[in-house]
Formats: sequence, C-alpha cells, structure tokens
Amino acid sequence: MERGYWIRSKPVYTSLMWQEKATSHLVVAQGSGGMAVLKIFQQMHPKQPITVLYAPSSDSIVDYASTLKKVVPEGLQLFDSVQEMLTTLKEILPTMYMGMRVYVAGSEGFIWTIAESAKEFGIEDIDMIKELTGTLARSIYCVHCKAITHNITTNIGKCAGCERMLFVRDHFSRRLGAYMGLMVDAESPGQLPEIEEIYP
Amino acid sequence: MNMINIKVAAIEQVTPLVKHFTFVNKDGTALPAFSGGSHVVVSLDINGRVHRNPYSLMGSPEDTSAYHISVRKQEKSRGGSEYMHENVAVGMQFKITYPVNLFSLAKKGRKHILIAGGIGITPFMSQIADLKRTGADYELHYAFRSPEHGAFVSELEQGCGTKFHCYTDSNGERLNLDELLSQQPLGTHVYVCGPNSMVVAVLEKARNFGWPENHIHSEQFLAPPIGEPFKMQLARSNKEILVPAEMSMLEAIEAAGVEADFLCRGGVCGRCELQVLETDGALMHNDHFLTDAEKASCKKIMPCVSRAKCERLVLDI
Amino acid sequence: MVLGFKQETFRDDYTYCNSPREIKRFPFPFAEDRYMYSVNIEPHGKGKEGSVFEFALDIDEHYVAECIDKEITLEQDPGRYESLSHMMDAQWDFVELSMESLARDYPEHFSLKKNGLQWTWENKPLGIKDTFTFGDASTLAMDPFEYMGRQAQGDFVLLDQRDETLYADAGFVTTQADWSLAFNVGMSWKEWHGPVPRVTELGVMDRALKYLLNLQLGSPVRRLNWTMTINPRLDTSPESFPRWGSDRNTVNADNVGDRVHLRVELQSLFRLPRSNAIMFGVRCYLISLNEIATYPRWAKRLHRVLKDLHPDLIEYKGMTKFHPTVVEWLANFDDGVILELGTQPE
Repeated sequence: MERGYWIRSKPVYTSLMWQEKATSHLVVAQGSGGMAVLKIFQQMHPKQPITVLYAPSSDSIVDYASTLKKVVPEGLQLFDSVQEMLTTLKEILPTMYMGMRVYVAGSEGFIWTIAESAKEFGIEDIDMIKELTGTLARSIYCVHCKAITHNITTNIGKCAGCERMLFVRDHFSRRLGAYMGLMVDAESPGQLPEIEEIYP
Repeated sequence: MNMINIKVAAIEQVTPLVKHFTFVNKDGTALPAFSGGSHVVVSLDINGRVHRNPYSLMGSPEDTSAYHISVRKQEKSRGGSEYMHENVAVGMQFKITYPVNLFSLAKKGRKHILIAGGIGITPFMSQIADLKRTGADYELHYAFRSPEHGAFVSELEQGCGTKFHCYTDSNGERLNLDELLSQQPLGTHVYVCGPNSMVVAVLEKARNFGWPENHIHSEQFLAPPIGEPFKMQLARSNKEILVPAEMSMLEAIEAAGVEADFLCRGGVCGRCELQVLETDGALMHNDHFLTDAEKASCKKIMPCVSRAKCERLVLDI
Repeated sequence: MVLGFKQETFRDDYTYCNSPREIKRFPFPFAEDRYMYSVNIEPHGKGKEGSVFEFALDIDEHYVAECIDKEITLEQDPGRYESLSHMMDAQWDFVELSMESLARDYPEHFSLKKNGLQWTWENKPLGIKDTFTFGDASTLAMDPFEYMGRQAQGDFVLLDQRDETLYADAGFVTTQADWSLAFNVGMSWKEWHGPVPRVTELGVMDRALKYLLNLQLGSPVRRLNWTMTINPRLDTSPESFPRWGSDRNTVNADNVGDRVHLRVELQSLFRLPRSNAIMFGVRCYLISLNEIATYPRWAKRLHRVLKDLHPDLIEYKGMTKFHPTVVEWLANFDDGVILELGTQPE
C-alpha cells in the first residue's frame, strides 16, 4: 500500500540565479538574505540595469549592509526597516517595465510580504525567484479567528489573536503568506501533544 | 457532443478574400453568451463528407441574438473555406459547437497588447468588446498586406480610437516589436493571432525581453495538412481504415462511424488525444499541444492535425 | 412537482431527518464492495425523474431549513463568502445559471421574468421577490453570487481558468467537509488539493484537471464524493472545528446508528459563458446509519466498503476515532451474501 502525503501547496524555494533574458533586475533582501545577494553577485554582474534593496532583520545577527556596499556595483539602497523598504518598492515598481526580473531572499515571512506588494503591480509570485534564508520560522493563519501569528518555530503555537493552541498544518496560502493553524485540542479539550521546535 | 442548430442570417463580402457570416439560432431563441476570444466549430456536409472547421466569434459577447464569424478563402483549401465562400447562402442551416475559449483575456492583467495579422483580427473583435465593457487598458496593433485586405479597419478605428494602430505592408508600414514590447508597464499581457511568422516573432521577442510565459498568449488554429495517404487500425473499434491525402486522421475516424472526442480541431486544446499502441514508422506531429518529449515518445498523437508515415499504426480507439 | 419543506435544524438539537422518499433518492455512492479513489466523472445530464440527478441544481424537502442554516453560519462568519475582484463576470454567470435552472425545473417555487436586462426573481419558499438589472451589481443588496448562493442548497466555488490551471477565486461555502474557503481562496488546483493522501493521488488530480480545462459550455459533468459526519451538521468547517470536533468522541454502540451520518457530495461542474470560469457545485446530502439500514442492501455494502478502507483514507476523512464502532455496528446487517454491482437501494 502506498503511504504518505503530498503537500503541493507548499512553496518551493530555490537559490537566487540571474535570469539572462531580462530588461532589468530587482533584488530585494532582508537580514540573512544578504548572503544570498552576495552569492548571486559572485555568479556575475548582468548587463541590464540592477536595483538592490536591503534591510537588516532582528533575527539575523549579521548585517550585510556594509559588505553589500562593497560588492554591489550600482543601484544599492539600504533601509533601516522592511516598512521603509516597502514604501520605496511601491515607488519603484510603477516606473518599471515588463521584463524586469524580481529576486527575493530572506525569511518566509519577508518573501511573502514582498510578494504581496509586488502583486498589486501585476507581478505574480511564480515569476519571482525566491530564496529562503536564515530561519524556517512560519507564519500561522488561525482558521478560527483569522489572526496571523508570525515566527512560529514549533509544531504547535499559540494564536496571537484568540490564544488557542494551534497545530501547524503543512498547507500554505500564498495570498495570506501563512500556513494553516487549526485548534489542536478541539477533539479532546486540554489534551496537548508535546510541543517541539521543528522550524528553527 | 451537444451542438447548436443555426441558420445563416446574413453574408457580407468584407475584403476580396474575407466573408463575414451572421448566424442566428434556428429556433429564433437567444444563443448562449460567450467570452471574448471564443470560437465555434462549424460542421459542413460537403458532398457527403463532414468538414468541421473552427472559427473565432467576432461579435460582442453580450449580443446573444447572433454569432458572427469571418472566413478567409484559403489558397490551398481542403474544401471548407472554399465551400463557405462559394456555396453557403443566406437561409442555409448548419450545426455548430457551443463556444469554446482557448484564447481568453487574462482577467487580472493590468494592460493588454493585442497583435493581429490579417484574418487573425477575428478573435480580437470579441475581446475588444470585453475590454471596453470592463474599462481595461489595451492597445490593438493590426497588420495586413494592403489597404484592400484590411478587414474591419473603419469599424475598429471608430470603436477603439487612439488605442488602434494599423500597419499596411504595401505602404511600407511595419510594427516595431522592439519598441512595443520593451517598454510596457508591469502586469501587461501580450496576445498574438496571425500568420505563423508573426506569432513566432512575437513569442520570441517577448521571451527574450524576459516576459513571463503566462503573460504571453497566442492562438493559431492549424488546418490539417494535406499529406500521403496511410492506413491505420482502430484497436477498440476493431477497424482498419485508410486516411486519404486530403482528410485528417480525425475526419477519417469519424467517416468510419467511430465516435471520437474533439474540441478545437486545430491542434490546440488536446481533447482529441489518442494513445498510439503500435507503429513501425514516423508520426508527423503538427499540433501545438503535446510537449516535445511526448512527441518524441511516439505514444500519443493529436489526430485533428497530425499524420503518420508508416505501414502500420494502431490506435487505442 | 410541489415540495413540502420541513422545519428542522442542522445544529444544537439536530432535528434533521430524512423522509422515506428522501432516503430512497439518497445518492448512495458505492457501486461495489471496495472503494477506490477515482475521478469517476460523468455527464451531468438530465437524470431519472425524482432522482437527485434530475435537474441541474437539486432541491429537496430540506431546502428552506438549509437556507436558514446557511444564514446562521454566514452571520457567525462572513468569511464563508469570498470573491476576488476579477470574478464579477463569473458572479453574473452564476446568477443566470441558478435562476434559470431553478425557475425552469421548479416553476411552482421559483420564477424569473426578463425584460431586457431588467430581471424579476421570485423565490416563494423563502419569500423573496426582487427586480434588478442584470450585470449591474449596485441593483442588488449584496454581491450577485452571495445573493443566489444564499438561495440554493450546497456550496459553490467559481474557478477562474488561466495559465493552464484553475484558481478557486470565489466561493460561497457553508456546508463543507472540513476545508476553509477563507484560507483556500485564490489557490490554484494543485495548491487547494494540497494535503491529500498519496493513495488518492496516482495521477488522478492531474487527469481531472486536464479534463476540466476542456469542460464545455452546455455539457456539465458531475461526480460523487463522500465522508462521514457526526450528527447531521452541515457546517463541518475547520473554522467551527472547536464546536464539532469533540463530537467524534461521543460515538458508542448505542448511539452510532443515530449519530453517525454518511455525507455524500454531489459535485457538479459547469462551464460558465461570459467569464469562461467553471462553477463547481458541492451539494451535500446527509443520511444517518439508521436511515441507511432501512435498506439492508446499502447497509451490507457500506459495511464492506468501510471494513477494508485504506488507513490513510480513514485518517484523511477524520474517521479514525469512530471507524471501528461503525464497522462493528454495520457488521450486524451483513450476512455476506453477494451483492450485484450498482448503487440502487434494493
């Protein structure tokens, strides 16, 4: 008998690689995603115009800003926060043309925050090259109260909205940028399985 | 397959080579609504042989009182377009399929660039009605050989205003794809319908500029090519039949009284796909549906447009 | 045909039950003793008179009670209705399909009068009569899809077709077997079939998608799916899981016939004309094991199907806790006699 589950909703992340067919390149990274940017610039410097946006992250010890300044030849913009970066991103995108390739590197939460902003301008997430760096921490959507709780590193996490203990299902919504969280002890109230860190 | 019985209500000679046909429901009721870019397959009984050809619907999808198609008289017609031009008269009745859309507009697109060559203008006529109704941003670029071959130009000028651009080849006017495709805002989709060289040029240009595949749309119905006659065996029906030079495999199967699935009959939709059980020669794949790997495997064939060069061909039907 | 509509509940005191007529027309899904997951798609043509397949949209004695239950569910959680902004054409397609078929198939209960784009819709069982302009959403009190979603039994999902796949871009989902519209809306075919056991897979989903991408206007199709639910509860959503999850612990040998229900979904798929979208209808039928056992043939068949069900499917359908009790109870009805193929009750 065949066993096991297919989780086809889970995004597949790759390593950043320059797309040769392009009119321009936009590289967006946060925290440990800076390393992915350094790596892609080791591949080559593409001939088309490049824009690189970088913000540090609290969960990454290393801030790659100063190294990026040395490595990125042009178009580097540094930010103190993702919020500031998003403001600039929303100013840049309307001036860009079809053929611009988007590269994103950072935590899963960061990747899908960028995807959400880009979507408003007609860029679909399947057309972005995404690299997951630093942490496997998940954002969890509570199916009961609809709140999204970030940075969950355990199999079961507490909902920041309704405080229910949520089991983290391996089912991902790109629109919400989050995994599904389902009340873990609804069948047998109070009976919680052991809580373990599995998304460090 | 559910079909609609229609009656020819009007015929208009639009250019020296193009005729516009208006169909109404035989029983006088409304026809089904459809979406811009749809086509129907028209069944014609020509001297006892059934021809089925796909034609794009040109009217406004909101107008369910009539369907409109345009037919270009093909130089190497297998009979269908010639019959439509020479023999079809007002009042005649046919069967058509329900509308099928294999060339639909991207509803989430932020801008739409439509590129037509010659008779390839037809699917855009209904798409433009949809684009105007929803207030979407679009441009129509229409190229044709010479002024007398520019079907529907004045209608389009009137309906689309400054969004309409036409290029008359005989006046030396050319569509500059570099300019057109290098400076479109994010979220733009491009659609092309026309002669093969034009479709290939647009696809290649957009891909080279880095347009994602899902922003590039084309429609190209293929007429089944004329080829060498060959024999094939239909395993499940237990029949051996000949595919004559001017008949497609699908038509030959139907002529033998075997029911086969079909939808577009132009090598696009994949509905008529058949499993090849055995062959000792080469399959001549002419469709746009199978992947190169599938074509190379010789396990599948699209009988609407493809043929074979062999002594023995056994199909699972 | 004039239907008598029952007053009953699908929650709290659960007064829902089926009349003998309703039991007899129940869409029992098992034609053989073994259940294999398959696409099993067939044309949704006009079925046998009186059967659930007779009309495009089936309504039955539970119609009014189900619409009231939908209203309660929606009031508690407005997120059961969602529609992404590019789905307005599909919404009107849904209005046309549902109004035309209900008015044509149940003229005693529904009527539709068209004066150009001015349409007047009357729903007698629910006491609704409205005149609106087809295509102009401002002439209805709510989104057109929500308006008619509230007036038809079952759930509806509108699938947008693009990039060679289907996207669940709008839905009215209040009677679902444990899936969340609010979470799944906007997902592609592959994504929303995300967590399914491998045993159900075997290329089935890919083949089904390929088939549906070519679904034709005027040629709808259908299939049956099934699961089991404790109590006749329509709203077995993940959202309300805290309210019904623990019911699974309450099944014992004494109450199993009354509590455990076979839940059958009549899934229908229609190509929509203006939007080129697909309407995916999921009409839910509930029947208690006691009601099933009024036809011994069905009880025997169900016993055999459940006894040999793949463990992953037992888990996937949420039956782990009560499956042994159900099989044991049904065994009492099964004398081992050979059953002919077919889903008929007798």
